[in-house]
Amino acid sequence: MKLLIIEDDASLNEIMCRALRSEGYVVESAATFFDAEDKIAGYSYDCILLDIMLPDGNGLKLLEHIKSLDKGDRVIIISARDSIDDKVAGLDLGADDYLAKPFYIAELSARIKSVLRRGSAAVSRQMKAGNIELNIDSRRVSVAGSDVPLLKKEFDILLYFMQRPGHIVDKAVLAESVWGDHIDAADNFQFVYAQIKNLRKRLADAAATYNVKAVYGFGYKFCEVEP
Amino acid sequence: MKLLNTILVRLAVALLPILALWSVVFYFAMVEEINDEADDSLEGYAELIMRRTLAGKELPAVGDGTNNSYVLEFLGHDKSVVPSMQYSDSLVYIHEKRETEPARVLTTCFSDADGAMYRLQVVMPTFEREDLLSSVFWHILVLFLAIVLTIFLATIFVFHRSMRPLYRLLGWLEQYTPGKGVSNFPASPSVVEFRNLIDSARATITRAESYFEQQKQFIGNASHELQTPLAVLGNRIEWLLDNTALTNEQAAELNKMQQALRRLVRLNRTLLLLAKIDNGQFPEVADVNIAELIREEAETYSEIYAGRGIECVVDLPQRLVFRMNEELATIFVTNLLKNAFLHSPGGGKISVYTTGSTLIFANSGSEALDSTRLFHRFYKQGKTGNTGLGLALVGSIARSYKMKVEYSFNEGRHLFKIGFGI
Repeated sequence: MKLLIIEDDASLNEIMCRALRSEGYVVESAATFFDAEDKIAGYSYDCILLDIMLPDGNGLKLLEHIKSLDKGDRVIIISARDSIDDKVAGLDLGADDYLAKPFYIAELSARIKSVLRRGSAAVSRQMKAGNIELNIDSRRVSVAGSDVPLLKKEFDILLYFMQRPGHIVDKAVLAESVWGDHIDAADNFQFVYAQIKNLRKRLADAAATYNVKAVYGFGYKFCEVEP
Repeated sequence: MKLLNTILVRLAVALLPILALWSVVFYFAMVEEINDEADDSLEGYAELIMRRTLAGKELPAVGDGTNNSYVLEFLGHDKSVVPSMQYSDSLVYIHEKRETEPARVLTTCFSDADGAMYRLQVVMPTFEREDLLSSVFWHILVLFLAIVLTIFLATIFVFHRSMRPLYRLLGWLEQYTPGKGVSNFPASPSVVEFRNLIDSARATITRAESYFEQQKQFIGNASHELQTPLAVLGNRIEWLLDNTALTNEQAAELNKMQQALRRLVRLNRTLLLLAKIDNGQFPEVADVNIAELIREEAETYSEIYAGRGIECVVDLPQRLVFRMNEELATIFVTNLLKNAFLHSPGGGKISVYTTGSTLIFANSGSEALDSTRLFHRFYKQGKTGNTGLGLALVGSIARSYKMKVEYSFNEGRHLFKIGFGI
């Protein structure tokens, strides 16, 4: 899978490249509008990560350009602006997703996977980890073929983990993404512990080969269960 | 006190003694003049009698209808009597009227060609003079009041005419909200002072508007510019945690950095949101059923704070519609609820209800908060760790929709009252 990162900040560009390469992608990068235009004209990418606030040209113009070439490149907009208007404008121009800065690499990686999956039309929104299967549309989870009923938040948490296998997930980040703006830095995360405890028990009871593991006592990691 | 009233009171204070003094002086001058006239007339009458006496002619009858009377006494050659003239006031009995009246009396002694002395006493009742004086007094009083009233009316009229530019400026300033520009500013009048006042006011407000605009843009730009370095920091920490062999200690340190960074990100995002609300960048409005929104959010919060044993009672009508931006409505409700949950002691009680056209969020608390600073940015009391921007968001949203949000503390309960005036 080949990615193009269009980001003018050298440091961010570099860490994004490095992180995505370590996940097995072929990554190229561009820092300016013209550089990006060159690369897009010459090569084809599975997914383009586009910072729409480039110094030498409007990123949205670049997006129009990419779409006008009609090579089927997927585009994820990366922007410092996170208003609904900006998102709508970007998605209207044909972007596949919109990610506001600052973001987590894990989040970016999950979005790339999701966009690429949408690219191959045959695959429905089904995720797999070990013997766990999760369908995003029907919100059903099965382990080794048999259904495991989960509560709403348990499902959301499992989905979050399945999009980030092997990543350390901070409990506060998890809480923020599952409960949204409702949680506050001053909160304790008792409610997260309780939900995770239930989820782990349900997965273990169903003999899942993947499960949530506590890491260093600060967060969690979704990984294969050691026999 | 209104400017007009102040001017009238001061005018009254200044004019009343002056006009009163003037009236008193005028009154006494008139009295003097009238007495003088009366004395002249007495003298004329006395002279007539004297001349007739000396000429041996017939003296005027006493009851001639003028109420004047006289007494002529022959004194003979009394050497002790010298010619003289003396005025006095006394009471006389007037036959025609059959009553005693105050009178002016002229007593004079004179001698004829033989040197024989006569004493003449001429009496003129003064009731006419009294009438005259009282009439003068009343006229002066009426005139005095009329002058004062006229001055007042003229002042009021002139005041309203001349002060119109001032009141236009005041009216404009009253409806002025910072950041909304200087449209419909009163035109410059022809009076120099008012022109200067209005021009200076316009210049000051224009300058303030431009500062306000710059400040808003600065906050917006600064927040946007911060997003990229924040992303770099966060992503690098994340990379370290995911891809390098770390000791538990190192991982713990990185984790703490991430926590601080998250707070920074949240703070930045909220400041940006505040700037956008103040900039009016949420123009779309819809009919939002606030009651339904509150019920949903309250359920979520009850779940999050389940461990603290807080009881949350939402007692709202089925529909309670606010016309506002949906995103802002959610931020408004979540921040009020979050505030209530965050600051309620364990086992406390939260209630959301309406009275009339007021929506009330109430939660248990021990002491009143500083209501003047409660909706300011970064105002925190007690609890640390939160951004201190939640209620600032609430205040900002309320301001942008001209909703009234009030805080009060009553019997161990914090009350946030939102007037929605539908």
